[in-house]
Amino acid sequence: MKGRVLLLLIIVFVGFSCRNSKSKTAEFVFPQSDSVPVSEAEKLSPEAIADISKNISSPVEIANLLQTLQVPFSQNYLAESIDANKQSTNFDKALKLGILGADLGYLNMYEKTGSSLEVLSSIRKIAEDIKVGQFFDFESIKRLSKNKSNLDSLLFISIDSYNKIDNYLRSNDRGQLSALMIIGVWIEGQYLATQVVSQYPDKMLSDRIGEQKIILNDLLLLISPYCNRDPEFTSLCKDMQDIKEKYRDIRITYTQGEPVSVEKDGGLTIKQTETSVVTMSKEQLNAVIEITKNIRDRLILNN
Amino acid sequence: MNRACFTQTILKLKYSTCELHHTNKINYTMMKKSIITLAFLFTFGLLSFGQVTDPLISNCAINAGANARYLKDFRIQLGKTASQSELRYKANMSLWKNTKYRFTMCNAQDSKGQLILSIKDESNKLILSSFDKKTGKIFSFIDFECQKSGIYQINYDFTNGQQGSGVGVVSMIK
Repeated sequence: MKGRVLLLLIIVFVGFSCRNSKSKTAEFVFPQSDSVPVSEAEKLSPEAIADISKNISSPVEIANLLQTLQVPFSQNYLAESIDANKQSTNFDKALKLGILGADLGYLNMYEKTGSSLEVLSSIRKIAEDIKVGQFFDFESIKRLSKNKSNLDSLLFISIDSYNKIDNYLRSNDRGQLSALMIIGVWIEGQYLATQVVSQYPDKMLSDRIGEQKIILNDLLLLISPYCNRDPEFTSLCKDMQDIKEKYRDIRITYTQGEPVSVEKDGGLTIKQTETSVVTMSKEQLNAVIEITKNIRDRLILNN
Repeated sequence: MNRACFTQTILKLKYSTCELHHTNKINYTMMKKSIITLAFLFTFGLLSFGQVTDPLISNCAINAGANARYLKDFRIQLGKTASQSELRYKANMSLWKNTKYRFTMCNAQDSKGQLILSIKDESNKLILSSFDKKTGKIFSFIDFECQKSGIYQINYDFTNGQQGSGVGVVSMIK
């Protein structure tokens, strides 16, 4: 009798444990609270902040996806209204540096080198204004932009320059500018993806937009310590919270599987069989498209 | 005693050196110039340092493969350790579904150990490792076909917990 009770207890315990662990990994959910408490964000170590900033996806990945989907290049997606000479505050400058960086990534991937030189000169002006021009290798980028055969080097130097600026700002107590730059890159990448999907509906692209829910909280963590710094930051924090709100009911679930490895020609390829699945209605996608456009358009006109 | 000074040009920057000869009068003007020049050289040196890209990173990134597009790099420098339970260098990175990534490992010439990589997902499940413990084989690059978007833990260390210096480059394959 005692043995049966014990066995029953073990079965119940194991059953609960399995269900709990399954539900823990089966769906991505935002943390409990609606916003990231400032105190929590302030506790982040410099290493954790560096980690978050490295974690944010590159606009080059979005541009790569667009190319895979054979979406033609369009100049209309670029933030052409940004006038580098009209940026008055460091807030504006850092945010625009991020937005232009994403545009540069898009242009580089599509090898639109003529336009990239114009963007590059705006980047140069803004970077010099916030005293980080020395980290941007303008001459090399300019030279490589004129020579289309060096796309690899061009991408490397462009991204590397931005990484150096980011590192420098964070290690010189100018973390607020680094956060703005990263948010600028993300908003412009998101704008690019949402504009394309509204013109060329595609499941893979809309899934990528829905999957941004995964990193939204990290972006909020980056900016949270500065939300009460001045009205500009307060407004941007509200914008990011509004975007997060639109993502609240978009679901990301996971199917289980074991990775498969294939060894070929001395190299190793790992194929993941686990998958993430985005459940997002047309209305939810439209809401994300709309809010992204409103915020991004307001930010680039804020000269 | 006279102070003999000469000027030399290195990297388009002038610097002066002075020698004391038999005189009791100190040439303050030249001394001041030297200090200013030294300070300038020091500052210029620091600024230039900020601009220079580590050749190990650039070579590793550019040689990742013809279809590889650079995304990120992790510069790893670790001392020797006795404990080898876990890879010591840890970072997070978001990886996206339907993207093929290439993780390339490059070692500095003076590195004692070889750079190895493992990737775990958010539930701490091992997704891949560049080091096969059974055979001892080390892969200098791994391609990963991602099907689950999420934040992954990227871990690096050097073989047998040895001292090492290297770079891990992440690219995507077109």
